[in-house]
Amino acid sequence: MKQRFISSVQIILQLALTTAGLTGQSYPGKPKIIRCRSLEKETFSCWWKPGSDGGLPTNYTLFYSKDSEEKIYECPDYQASGPNSCYFDKNHTNPWTTYIITVMATNEIGSNSSDPQYVDVTSIVQPDAPVNLSLETKTSASITYLWAKWSPPPLAAVSSNSHVYHYELRLKPEEKEEWETISVGLQTHYKVTGLQAGVKYIVQVRCMLDLGEWSEWSSERNIQIPNGESPPEKPTIIKCRSPEKETFTCWWKPGSDGGHHINHTLLYSKEGEEKVYECPDYKTAGPNSCYFDKKHTSFWTIYNITVRATNEMGSNVSDPHYVDVTYIVQPDPPVNITLELKKSVNRKPYLVLTWSPPPLADVRSGWLTLEYELRLKPEEGEEWETIFVGQQTQCKMFSLNPGKRYIVQIHCKPDHHGSWSEWSPEMYIQIPTDFRVKDMVVWIIVGVLSSLICLIMSWTMILKGYRMMAFILPPVPGPKIKGIDKHLLETGKSEELLSALGCHGFPPTSDCDELLIEYLEVEDSEDQQLMPSHDNPSKNMKMIPKETDSDSGRGSCDSPSLLSEKCREPRALPSALQTQDVRAVQENKGAKRSWETQCIASEQEALLFNNESTKSSTWPAVQLLPNSQLPMFAYHSTVEAHTIILNTTNVNISPVLVGNEEKHQSRYPVTEAVHDNMEKQREMEYFITEQTTVQVQQNRHNDKSPFLNPKLMDYVEVHKVRQDEEPTVLLKHKDNNGKTEKYTVPGTSKEYTKVSTVVDHNILVLMPDSRIQHTPVSQEPTMETSQNLQQGQAEKNMSYCLTAPSDCKRETSGSEYMDPSSFMPSFK
Amino acid sequence: MPAYIGDAGDSPAPVDPSRSAPGSGLRRAMAPARAAGRAGAVAALALLWLLVCGPGDSGCHLLTVADLFDRVIRHSGRIHSLSTTLYTELEKHFPPRDNELGKPARKCHTSGMLTPNGKEYAQKIPREELTHLILKLLQAWKEPLSHFNQHIEHHQELPDDSLSKAKQISNMVHELKTGVEKVTKKMQSMGIISNSLNGMASSEGTGLSISNEANMMSDSDFIHCFRRDSNKVQSYLKILKCRIMPENSC
Repeated sequence: MKQRFISSVQIILQLALTTAGLTGQSYPGKPKIIRCRSLEKETFSCWWKPGSDGGLPTNYTLFYSKDSEEKIYECPDYQASGPNSCYFDKNHTNPWTTYIITVMATNEIGSNSSDPQYVDVTSIVQPDAPVNLSLETKTSASITYLWAKWSPPPLAAVSSNSHVYHYELRLKPEEKEEWETISVGLQTHYKVTGLQAGVKYIVQVRCMLDLGEWSEWSSERNIQIPNGESPPEKPTIIKCRSPEKETFTCWWKPGSDGGHHINHTLLYSKEGEEKVYECPDYKTAGPNSCYFDKKHTSFWTIYNITVRATNEMGSNVSDPHYVDVTYIVQPDPPVNITLELKKSVNRKPYLVLTWSPPPLADVRSGWLTLEYELRLKPEEGEEWETIFVGQQTQCKMFSLNPGKRYIVQIHCKPDHHGSWSEWSPEMYIQIPTDFRVKDMVVWIIVGVLSSLICLIMSWTMILKGYRMMAFILPPVPGPKIKGIDKHLLETGKSEELLSALGCHGFPPTSDCDELLIEYLEVEDSEDQQLMPSHDNPSKNMKMIPKETDSDSGRGSCDSPSLLSEKCREPRALPSALQTQDVRAVQENKGAKRSWETQCIASEQEALLFNNESTKSSTWPAVQLLPNSQLPMFAYHSTVEAHTIILNTTNVNISPVLVGNEEKHQSRYPVTEAVHDNMEKQREMEYFITEQTTVQVQQNRHNDKSPFLNPKLMDYVEVHKVRQDEEPTVLLKHKDNNGKTEKYTVPGTSKEYTKVSTVVDHNILVLMPDSRIQHTPVSQEPTMETSQNLQQGQAEKNMSYCLTAPSDCKRETSGSEYMDPSSFMPSFK
Repeated sequence: MPAYIGDAGDSPAPVDPSRSAPGSGLRRAMAPARAAGRAGAVAALALLWLLVCGPGDSGCHLLTVADLFDRVIRHSGRIHSLSTTLYTELEKHFPPRDNELGKPARKCHTSGMLTPNGKEYAQKIPREELTHLILKLLQAWKEPLSHFNQHIEHHQELPDDSLSKAKQISNMVHELKTGVEKVTKKMQSMGIISNSLNGMASSEGTGLSISNEANMMSDSDFIHCFRRDSNKVQSYLKILKCRIMPENSC
């Protein structure tokens, strides 16, 4: 039926077309139903393509009929789906019906119908493409993925939202041709993984209802996958350390970051506990560290520590680190290291090292016990010498090489557990070179220097030859020089020395002679006055001042008086007073003399009887003079003193007297000569002074020794020489007398001389007796003194007064000795 | 014996050479257990003698508390060193199944005892209590150690050396306990600490119950725990000494 109907219609249409074609203006061409489509199975639309219009305006009419009925309907809505289309709304759509649709084109000439289109709504369903496709990349668990979202296709009928679409997504790198299609399912988003970083992808989606066809692919979307963005790598816990066994710190090393800032989190749990704690202090110990203070530090438990690194792309966790705080104690290096070099008894240097435990370590509590180890090497050395010290904080190092510079370091460690600290900073110590070597060097230098000096010395010696010899070993000077030198030097007055030299060296010098002459004149007056009063001991006293006077006059030539003065000087008071005494005596001379004259005779006798007494009196007289400067009183006192002394002396020295007497006896002739001389002296007042000098000299000879008798003989001659210049004859006599006296005297003792001289003056008047007396008299005081001297000569601490006489005598004797020696040959 | 005394006095070396090195050859020839037992007996005698009479002094009363403390501390140090060595040896022979220290199951039978876990606590706790704690710790290990010795002999793969070490440790702990008791008595007699710690009898009972728990541990765990406690004992002894005699090299 149907086919007949259709074929009949076709024929009709063909006829109409041919007719139109014939006329030029013909009926429209045959339209063609292109497509019928339902978006959601509830409505559908059909579109047709017009045929040739035949030159005339053409109307298109769509007719449809349902397979279940004969009735033909026209298109309900030509507008909704656009031109040349017909939209069948819900009311006109029946999914269970097959629609037969034809389109008729009509113009004035005729009409033409399309081929009928059989439409099964369910089979023509094809939704629109999904819309609002959006793409983004996300990172989760270090994986970057693509996140795609879209919306289902929009529908005209808002009410019909209950459709379930199936979606498909396809994507490809931009530069590639092949799509990778992914079935998404019912959801409107999708996570694409396994993408290449840094590549741009194109993505499309499409959808489909549970029947029908896939929609068109949605519009393309592009996305750039981020380059290198990833979660951070695993951090690594480097180490945990407790510096003082009370707190500890852990450090970690971050892995490479994923291009983002990383947050590190340290988590720990303790042994036997489930709870996980976070690090209490990230700051104290610096970056990438965690500090556990005392509260958070437990011993004898194990910490399980992990570090988590997190950034935007994700996070990563380190391997766990297990820590038992007891065994991670690593102290700081020791401090306050001092190096000190000390010398042992044998002068070998050794090194003393001291140090302190690190300040953090609380050693005193006993909680932490440190052991030390030190190492040292020479600066240029390669190998360290390591020494374990134990718990002590000092160490002595022996057997170090001298002259080398050492490097010393110390580190410490808790006992039984933990680890060694860092080495302390290097300390340097210079070991001095061996002291013995130094000594050797010094000695060598000394030796070389001394040998050099010796060389120079000997060289100069050789060069200068005999001069040096003469210098070192000067020629022995003549005896006279010696004598003068000695005595004068001893007396200490250079003037005298010069004068002595002048006189003795050149006996005929005019100066001396003149002086002598002048003095003689001066003295004469005094002497003359004195002459008669020689006898009295008081005169003796006076005589002394005269002598001094005469000495002052003679000073330049003969110095006995001076010597005597010097001898007196040590006697503290008298010396000073003597000069005054002299004046006083001189003033009182007149009275004294008168007194003296009266007493002369008696004195003589007294002298004869008591030589000793007179002589002894001389000494005291000298001493007493100052006291007796007042004419009469003093004098008496002196006399008394004399007597006293005489008594004592007599008693003591009686044997000596005997000896003296014996001597006198033996030399009687001499004494006789003396007598003669004395007589002459009386006549020749001039010579008194000279005699005194002679006597002094002679006495000095005596002092020297009796052995020198022959010399003494010469001596006499010398006096002659002197006196030769003046009245010679007399002098000789005196000399002889003197000699004889001296000869006798020496036997007794040396020290009489001075006293004798003094006495001599007095005695000059009473020549023979006095001389004989002189010696013994002098003996007595000297005996006393000499005894003292003998006892204390060596000491010399004895009163100088006592020693003085002897000295003086020596001097005088020496001085005189010189002269005779020089003149000896002339007389012989 | 004198050599051993000197050794005990002078060398705090990690491993006592007089025991480990020369003994290894000799003891292999003999029955290791007996040898170790003898060595332990000798050591015990030596320590007892040390504690009673110091070398050189005729009057034993001259030994001061400080001397006793020094000896006890040295002894505990040697125990600790020995246990460290033994621990590393056992680790070699029984490698841990998982991370060495990370086993959460590791729990010492003495963990239940409340002991100070830091310097300040140890300094705050009364002297008597600290002394008591030391004795308690030692007591807690006495039984388990002897059990451990019997048990460890069945390990054929273990070297004799390790076995003898285990014996030594057991003996030395006994000695140490004797020594600490001696010091305690001395301190009590001198009035340094009060006599208030006579509760040791009760603690022995708890020690026994604890020891059963100890028997359940693995060998390496056991030594690990013992090593820890020996270090505890040494630290407490040092703290105690310096608290009582702060002037004495503290």
